[in-house]
Amino acid sequence: MFYLQSGISHSSYGVERQLFPIPFERWQVGILLALAIAAPLLMSPIYLKSYMLPWLIWTAAALGLNLIIGWAGQFHFGYAAVMAIGAYSATHAARHGVPFEIALVLAGATATVIGSVFAITALRVRGLYLALSTLALQFVIDWVIHKVPAISGGTQATLQAPSVHLLGIPIASDASKYYTALVWCVLVTMFMLNLRRTGLGRALVAVREKDFAAAVIGVNSFYYKLVAFATSSFIGGVSGAILVFTFYGAVTPEQFTTNVSIQALAMVIIGGLGSVIGSYLGVAFILLLPGLIATAIYALATKLDLNVGIELLAHIPGLLYGILIIAFLLFEPSGLAKIYTNFRNYLMFWPFGYSRK
Amino acid sequence: MFQRLKKALGIAAISLVAQPLLAAEPIKFGLCYDLTKIYSFAAPQLVQAERDLAALVNSQGGIEGHPVEFLLQEHGNEPQRGIECYERMKAAGVVAVDTLSSPVSRALLPRVMKDGIVMTQPMVGRSDTVDGEVFKWVFPIGATYWGMAANAVQYAKSQSGGSLKGKRIAFLYIDYPFGQEPIGILKELQKREGFDLGLYPYPLPGNDQSSAWSQMRRAQPDYIIHWGTAVMQVVAAKEAQRNGISMSKIITTPWINDVDIANIGPDLAKGLKKVAVFASGSYVPLLRKIKTEVYGKDKGNGDIKWLGDKYYNLGLASFAPVFEGARLALKNYGAPLTADKLRKGMESIRDFNADGLMAPLVFSEKDHGGGGKTRIEMYDGKAWVPQTDWAAAYDDLVWQAVKASSAEYLKTNK
Repeated sequence: MFYLQSGISHSSYGVERQLFPIPFERWQVGILLALAIAAPLLMSPIYLKSYMLPWLIWTAAALGLNLIIGWAGQFHFGYAAVMAIGAYSATHAARHGVPFEIALVLAGATATVIGSVFAITALRVRGLYLALSTLALQFVIDWVIHKVPAISGGTQATLQAPSVHLLGIPIASDASKYYTALVWCVLVTMFMLNLRRTGLGRALVAVREKDFAAAVIGVNSFYYKLVAFATSSFIGGVSGAILVFTFYGAVTPEQFTTNVSIQALAMVIIGGLGSVIGSYLGVAFILLLPGLIATAIYALATKLDLNVGIELLAHIPGLLYGILIIAFLLFEPSGLAKIYTNFRNYLMFWPFGYSRK
Repeated sequence: MFQRLKKALGIAAISLVAQPLLAAEPIKFGLCYDLTKIYSFAAPQLVQAERDLAALVNSQGGIEGHPVEFLLQEHGNEPQRGIECYERMKAAGVVAVDTLSSPVSRALLPRVMKDGIVMTQPMVGRSDTVDGEVFKWVFPIGATYWGMAANAVQYAKSQSGGSLKGKRIAFLYIDYPFGQEPIGILKELQKREGFDLGLYPYPLPGNDQSSAWSQMRRAQPDYIIHWGTAVMQVVAAKEAQRNGISMSKIITTPWINDVDIANIGPDLAKGLKKVAVFASGSYVPLLRKIKTEVYGKDKGNGDIKWLGDKYYNLGLASFAPVFEGARLALKNYGAPLTADKLRKGMESIRDFNADGLMAPLVFSEKDHGGGGKTRIEMYDGKAWVPQTDWAAAYDDLVWQAVKASSAEYLKTNK
């Protein structure tokens, strides 16, 4: 009904290839974007600062990870380490007076270089072996940060992010931080949406489906895997830097541990491999839901005046959250994105569902 | 019938509305705690203690007539959720927050410094925050890890007859920022006192310490200063026994509690020493008061068996000085209590020992730690027995380290 396709006629290649051919979806995206731009006026500071902002940054990061897992089909267990490289490079650069714009690019570049150097060795293996060798990247980076005081910032292992300007605007107010994250997230989203229309994207998908077959049709699988690692490392590095400068305000090793890598992986898998909207949903699920469930449970317990011990109360959200993850993966193993697609397909044909094959 | 119902409903409505009006506006304190992950061994007892303390204060008419209230939220030791919790607490109007987590308190530091809300961090977070001139809003109540390590060395010195020349001190630690923190100060002390310092790290999560201990068996140190928590204490005790090293050589952190002792076994733990920031056990007058006034009237917030537990007392020690600061603030600057007044109130605390629970604390604009006094306590098989008086050793060295570190912070945060 909403997603009416009648009346859409492709009169040129440009129209046929546009990102959102269905008018309703163009409206949807436009309205969402307008809402996102107006968010600092519409939302209370709590939700803007501690929900919207991390959500956008992590979505950008998850999209980078999705590029390598969902598009190129290569496991990556050390994505937090890649983000850490970016975060530390940008922080050190900015502390030495490098302008923030260059520091961001530098963050991406360092992450790309280290990520690719590592990929050259890691890509000699595939599947679970690759997963383990990327996990090694995580541990190596963790160890280096802990062991080199010049990187971690001495005994306190905390480096404060200095105040910075982006294109002449000080990144200090909540709104300016939010817009920085929003612009980055929109840029990465645009890149990912366009990826499927490019030769690079198709080559990556070919490598994902079967790298031998890709080689037979003339796709150099090693080269494209390397490109995937490099690109996703760049996105991860910049996202890590933005996370530190707009959200944390200081960089510490705990922000990028193995746990965080696994969380990032969960965001991509629960969201849906190879899906852009899936990354948004997956991040919301993994990052924001635990806090929201905890708040809801606590409010409920206070309202009903339940005499529950604080320990039990603190563990109930964890329990619920675990059940939710299992339920989602049971009912829809392809991730949250599939639920969205099903819903969209249903509406697309409604009320003539029988015409669906 | 209807009339009666109407009347009853009316009364109920009035009493619902009137209730908040009767009592003075409560003073709110925020607890952002990790109740499910790595700090879950301590957090529940802390909350119990803090709520009991609030109940005690409220039963005595509150702080200068204002009731106190704790808001609690869980953050699972994740910086991101800690920040969310802090923002919620800020919106709820708390004057002080406590995090009980180094990662989270580090993540909150930039925000606290900007927003101007008091953050307490007893035994967690950056040590250099005792420098009140730089960290205006942070109160790391009690001694810093640097101060504790210095006090442990001072004890070793007094045990060795006033000189450590030629003595061997081993520093056994978890290879993680928490464990690495005292290394700098120990190296400075080594220069001053002339002892041999051996560093023996063991990796996270601390279940495997065998290589560190077999190295120590070869080195035969005279004293072992151990920086670890929870399971690490138990593993260390077992390793000490296995390597034939006497428990009486070990001086450990204040993080060891009754559960750890029970896991080690009271007999084996005999002779173990720790640096204490506050008194253990329930013989303290404040705890006796809580027993009669709170638990005696069935208003307790948990199991009475935890009274006197290390972490229970830590909970009291975390907030007793804050309440005292609030009292002074209300007395000197009047209601309503703001974070700024609370900070000034806490800075004016002089010789406050929370009914015998802590060393006499003296805060000032410069010193947000309260003087950094600790004492050495020894486990005698039943209880912790104080071995020394409350004292702060090598104050100059500790402050030198604090100033060097806080100057570094200041450099990037002009």
